[in-house]
Amino acid sequence: MNIKIKDLTVTFKNGVTAVNHVDLEIPHGIYGLLGENGAGKTTLMRVLTTTQKPTGGTVIMDQMMYEESNYGNIQKKIGYLPQELNLYPNLSVRECLEYLGDLSGVPKKECRERIDFYLEKTSLWEHRKKKIRQLSGGMKRRLGLIQALLNEPEFLIIDEPTTGLDPEERIRIRNLLVDFSENRTVLFSTHVVEDLAATCNRLAVMRKGSFLYTGTVNELMNMAKGHIWVCAVKDDREARELEGQYHISSKQFVEEGMRLKIISEKKPPLPCSQPELTLEDAYMYVMSR
Amino acid sequence: MMKRELKICLPVYKIVYSVCYLVILSVIQGVAYMDEIGGALDANIALLAVVFCAETYVMERSGKRNEIIGLYPRKRKARMVFRRMAVQTVYLCLLSYAGYFFFFWQRPLNLGIHSFWFLFGTYVAAVTATILFWGTLSMTLSNLFQNQWAGIGLSVVLWLVVVYSLGKEILGKFGIFAYVYRSLTEPGDVSWLWGKGLGILLTLVMAGLVPYILKKRG
Repeated sequence: MNIKIKDLTVTFKNGVTAVNHVDLEIPHGIYGLLGENGAGKTTLMRVLTTTQKPTGGTVIMDQMMYEESNYGNIQKKIGYLPQELNLYPNLSVRECLEYLGDLSGVPKKECRERIDFYLEKTSLWEHRKKKIRQLSGGMKRRLGLIQALLNEPEFLIIDEPTTGLDPEERIRIRNLLVDFSENRTVLFSTHVVEDLAATCNRLAVMRKGSFLYTGTVNELMNMAKGHIWVCAVKDDREARELEGQYHISSKQFVEEGMRLKIISEKKPPLPCSQPELTLEDAYMYVMSR
Repeated sequence: MMKRELKICLPVYKIVYSVCYLVILSVIQGVAYMDEIGGALDANIALLAVVFCAETYVMERSGKRNEIIGLYPRKRKARMVFRRMAVQTVYLCLLSYAGYFFFFWQRPLNLGIHSFWFLFGTYVAAVTATILFWGTLSMTLSNLFQNQWAGIGLSVVLWLVVVYSLGKEILGKFGIFAYVYRSLTEPGDVSWLWGKGLGILLTLVMAGLVPYILKKRG
């Protein structure tokens, strides 16, 4: 499945433009959507799920245009895990999934088989009889992921699934996403750079409703190459002086004083070296431009 | 599915407050005669139905599930709303029928004009129509404004209009609370059935609007 977004704009009634004339093509596989809070990621995703109507531009899913007459068919192909989802606290895990499966129109027998399969895959099988209010945050996200997969969607939209989770649970969710991305198009939004580094090879970086970058992870890393510097300063005072002149992406106290990571087009007039680049460095470089 | 709807629509807190409401009503509403029990309950049960049913569908919004529910076929969502309304209506009806007997601690007398079974039977008919109308009204308004407080607020305003003299004078026997104002001394006066009939008719119209409201308001 292929999604094409052309000149998409979303302006709310209060005049705020959350998505500003963006173009994007989301191919098969996992596609990352990276950006700070309030960048417009969730609004863009809500347009793709058909829950938010754009004020301008077009979206095409394969050959199908996003318009009211096609919404029914488009919705059948979509699985969505929103950023916040409070499933029915009084239902057990299994009951909740069966309930949502029935609402989405999946035949009963198939629904039960899929639930069994995904409960096993997400290690929730032993918790299937637990009430949802008894689950941990990570388990709830895994449950949310299963509900998004119940109708076997071709296009899976996942909005910040790892926010607030401990590292172990984050890794688990990331791995599940990779497992479930087979034969699917997955749009994975996050503001945690590590999550994308571990899952995608294509991504878009969003800020204030526009894309700062779209392309592969490698190209993004190449863009940042030669613009990230590491230097050591004696104390905090010296670090603060440098902060006034350069974009500092990280500070760390070390034995000799402080170690700074500086983003700069040119080498700062200090003893500096070039570190091994991470996706986070590349992201910070794009954001600082 | 019904079992799941039961768990979703009837959490413990709703059962507790609805039972407490009827117990309190039976304590603060004085009745001297059995004939007065139905009238004492009918309009007040309407308020309970308004509060009870307002969140039928908008609970999906407050639980932030509306974005996933929004992807489901409209027919199935409408069916879900009807199932929930059915569960809540049956519960409220059973509670209100039981609530009739809560007043018996006051040892009300029977005027002797109507038998107990006539009084109870007419009460059952009247209160069922009341619950259907006010529950559906509050659910419809909540869905329309996507906010349960708007649904409750507007329904209460309408309740205030029809429960007091304005409703009695203008609507007469066609008022939804005509049963409350019926003459207790006239044997066999069932003209209030017009009001309840009209209420049921309006309930059906509102139920018919559910799929369209879900389409327009998500």
